[in-house]
Amino acid sequence: MELAVETRGLTRDFGSFRAVDGIDLQVPAGSFYGFLGPNGAGKSTTIKCLTGLLKPSGGSMTILGTDPLADPVSVKRRIGVVPEDLALFDRLTAEETLLFVAQIHGIDIATARARASDLLDVMDLKDAGTTLVTDFSHGMRKKLSLAAALLPAPRLLFLDEPFEGIDAVASRQIKDLMQSFLSRGGTIFLTSHILEIVERLSTHIGVIARGKLVAQGRIDELRAGGGIGKTLEELFIGLVGGEARPQTSLDWI
Amino acid sequence: MLVNALERTGSRDALERFSIAIEKLGPILAAILLIPSSLAIAGLGAAAGYALAQQATHSILFEVCRYLLLAVTALAIVGPLFLPAADRTNPIRLLLLPIPRSVLYVAQSSSAFGDPWNLLALPLLTCLAAGMLAGGEPLGALLSLAAGLVFIVIVVGLASLATSVLHLLVRDRRRGELIALLFIIIIPVVSMLPAMLDPGSRRSRGGAAQPHTAVPSWLSATATRALAVVPSQIYIAATGNAAARRYPAAAAQIGMLATMALVLHGLGAAAFKRVLDSPGSSGARRGGSMPGAWSRRIPGLSSGASAVALAQLRLALRTPRGRSIMLSPLIMFLVFGAMMYRGSGTMDFGHIRFGGGLSLAMFASAMSLLSMLPIAMNQFAVDGAGLTMGLLSPLTDADMLRGKAVGNGLIIVGPCLFSIGLSYLVFGGGSPALWASIPLGLISIYLLVAPVAAITSAMFPKVVDLNSIGRGSNAHGASGLAGLLSFVVAGAPPVLLALLATRIFHRTAFAPLFIAAWCVVAYGIGRLMFVAARRIFQTRRENLALL
Repeated sequence: MELAVETRGLTRDFGSFRAVDGIDLQVPAGSFYGFLGPNGAGKSTTIKCLTGLLKPSGGSMTILGTDPLADPVSVKRRIGVVPEDLALFDRLTAEETLLFVAQIHGIDIATARARASDLLDVMDLKDAGTTLVTDFSHGMRKKLSLAAALLPAPRLLFLDEPFEGIDAVASRQIKDLMQSFLSRGGTIFLTSHILEIVERLSTHIGVIARGKLVAQGRIDELRAGGGIGKTLEELFIGLVGGEARPQTSLDWI
Repeated sequence: MLVNALERTGSRDALERFSIAIEKLGPILAAILLIPSSLAIAGLGAAAGYALAQQATHSILFEVCRYLLLAVTALAIVGPLFLPAADRTNPIRLLLLPIPRSVLYVAQSSSAFGDPWNLLALPLLTCLAAGMLAGGEPLGALLSLAAGLVFIVIVVGLASLATSVLHLLVRDRRRGELIALLFIIIIPVVSMLPAMLDPGSRRSRGGAAQPHTAVPSWLSATATRALAVVPSQIYIAATGNAAARRYPAAAAQIGMLATMALVLHGLGAAAFKRVLDSPGSSGARRGGSMPGAWSRRIPGLSSGASAVALAQLRLALRTPRGRSIMLSPLIMFLVFGAMMYRGSGTMDFGHIRFGGGLSLAMFASAMSLLSMLPIAMNQFAVDGAGLTMGLLSPLTDADMLRGKAVGNGLIIVGPCLFSIGLSYLVFGGGSPALWASIPLGLISIYLLVAPVAAITSAMFPKVVDLNSIGRGSNAHGASGLAGLLSFVVAGAPPVLLALLATRIFHRTAFAPLFIAAWCVVAYGIGRLMFVAARRIFQTRRENLALL
């Protein structure tokens, strides 16, 4: 099985706090990998390590067959990232943002313009193409960030909470785009709190809790292993220990 | 605070702890200085009050008090403008709490008591009354105290009204940015006005002072009339009358102050209500300018470095702070050009005297270069979330640094050329060789300052708001200082070489040759410094990503 992402003992410490504790990820090429975990479990730290924003404290990684620590530029040429903070220049317009990305990737101007036009069209941002990002709503920023990630035609997409804070229409557009990307042989690594979406879209999932990878594999296999008819939510809560939390009745409400 | 800063658990490494501690030092020093300042001002007030009670109505101490209180009034109005947007209270948030609006207004107004100028005014006003009491004027002291208290209520009202009006204005981002830009331009010009209007500055070319010409009578009369209704002036008049035992006049002035306080708080409450009632609109959407021009590649740079450079230039063109950098030479030229015009082609700075357009060009272009420091010395963090985009992209460290250096250069190349060109056209004069030396000197300075800017920006990144006009848009203190020092150090060789050519060799033609040769050396030194900058940037990438 060809792997798009592979980590061995990936660890990241912040002082004495271990945010990511020796995880072994295996993301098959062409898969839709949902990376789940409760708040503070280490999802964003893991994605930051994989995309080169953070240096791991230990372990090794391979992204699309290349060690990103040894050759970060080569890896970054082949991946697209929608980070948590969306990473957009406030003072560029939507069009300028896409052309900026194209220039950085060395894409010629004619191709860049054509791709930017297509992406703005698909994302329903055509009318806002000459508007500064600072005047964009959250949903528009999210769509533009995804467009910027897709523009260089990457083979692997990292999406950190792409469905958070956006309306149903934008959510549908993003889902359609992701399906289209997958059908062309791309790989998606996604973190999300919205389990229904992950359940519907993902082929594989990994669950992280307190920095450790507690489950990984094909979604149907994991569900079958957890008991027939078990939903992803039940499986997830069981894996991260949510059921063990003491219940307070809050009778006073 | 300092210990907390040094031990701050959120900081990632020793350098960041040091960086935070330096940033905290400013407020700590200000707080420490506030104590002796309050004591000194209290002493000044007591002495002035005592002198007044002794019927010394024209006491110099009382005059000092007058100017201090005038400054307090002015600061109450302009103070809210200097706060970074993030530091301004958002009254809309307070609406979520079950508190009546009138109480919210009182709470908002009361926060003005914490402003340093109010903290300094209180001891002055109370001790002035105490001094009068000690000087044997108990009724005068009582009236002065009453006037002082009403004056403070007025200052609080002014601050509250100014804050609410500012909220209403900046709610539309575009209008807010325009206001910020206007203030950036107006404040330095206004501060230069006294020197520009000073009749003593008008000299003949021979240096002999011409007979003094008075300020126009209409200006003087308008200023007198306007000053008469300034609250601090009314307070001073009331206190003077109270000390001179003209009690009815003093009481009438206190009544005037009280009326003024009522009106101001009425307006303040109405403006505050408007802030609470009006929706949080953000103004019309704006488009970028010159579409197409920005996608061109700068010759000599890689595609990525060129994109970074043009993004940096656009940041400057589209933020108030950046625009102020680009407009600064125009301001410098107008202010100093007017001074020179009044001085018949010369301008004096104490014992230092500049003559001719050459000096103006040198001065204004050097100032343009210096004004770039807030952006250049914080060149990575000014991108905000865009920095993450840069760090995630397949840009090499060298391309990132090269792009930033060229981008910062592009920001100031226009203003510098404008200063030099306009000075030459308007004033002219001097040797062509020396005119040619100015751009060469600036290039040599920039070649050395650029790597220092990259290093300090990577070491001391600071999240800033380039829409703000105060410290909220300044680079980190350590970066700013390093920038200033590097500018001075880098500026010394071209100046010395020009002096060598003109004073030792007595050949002005040698000046551009010497400085051009120095540019080559500076380029070599700059290249070596960029090697260090690249290493530092590489080690600081993570800190920059987590800003």
